[in-house]
Amino acid sequence: MTQVQITMEDVAGAPQGRTVKIVQIAGQLDESNVDEEAKKIYALIESVPQGLFLIFDFSMLEYMNSKSIGYLTDWYSKVSASGGRVAIAAARGNILDILQVVGLTQLVNAYSSLEEAKLAMNQ
Amino acid sequence: MDTESLQDKAMEIAIELPTQAYFLSGIRDFILNLTKNVTGFSQQWAFRFQAVVDEMCNNAIEHGSAAGQNIKVQIVSQRGKHLEVIVSDTGTGPEKMNAKQMTELYKERRQVTQGEYLGFRGRGLPKIVGEWTDEVMFEDNESGGITVRVKKYLRSEEDEVLSKQSKASNLVLS
Repeated sequence: MTQVQITMEDVAGAPQGRTVKIVQIAGQLDESNVDEEAKKIYALIESVPQGLFLIFDFSMLEYMNSKSIGYLTDWYSKVSASGGRVAIAAARGNILDILQVVGLTQLVNAYSSLEEAKLAMNQ
Repeated sequence: MDTESLQDKAMEIAIELPTQAYFLSGIRDFILNLTKNVTGFSQQWAFRFQAVVDEMCNNAIEHGSAAGQNIKVQIVSQRGKHLEVIVSDTGTGPEKMNAKQMTELYKERRQVTQGEYLGFRGRGLPKIVGEWTDEVMFEDNESGGITVRVKKYLRSEEDEVLSKQSKASNLVLS
């Protein structure tokens, strides 16, 4: 199985009614691991039924395949439907390139740094 | 043979991969380094081809071949000119299709506007492979499966555009 590590942390100082969380994905998301790893993100989304503002920190993400982009789209749909938002932060060039070619950056804001994404999600 | 002596010759590499996703990270690393160091394509195109080959192999494994079999991957390149990838499945997978059906499905999915598409699957061949190659062909093969053949021609003007895009910073894409 390809190596990937998912870590989650809360962002302090969020406006009332909003829960801001950062999910950092380090390594490679591919066919060998994405189904298993995706369960962790679904569990996080289910734990915050309303107003989840989710930042995906992709600074350490080296590769993602089309299925993992499918999951990202599904997480976006679920979070948006419950009054939340999704943002992508600090994605490397190859990750941003693949997100652009499938049209995902038309749905989800992509920020060049984690600080910018946190600022946008706390406004 | 060093990379210089490969300059004017067409290079052809054939690999057989077991139908397990476990092996895909190895083929991705190989394609990334090969494209970057031997074919004359830029690093950005090397990353793109990493994804193209991964998607092609995964389709062949997931849809076109039963467990315990092998898929075939061929890479043909003439340095500075083109890169071609040919992936063949065995036709023993859960979703039996012929080349004509696959061509129709591919054309249909190419027409979907991706920015409005919220579906879970269907981005691999139509968008990642389709957008980042110049030719995509599906052929029926001797083992009863499908051979997918893609080709990308090296054009320096594309790299210039990519270079300008990658220098842009502080963009919020939405």
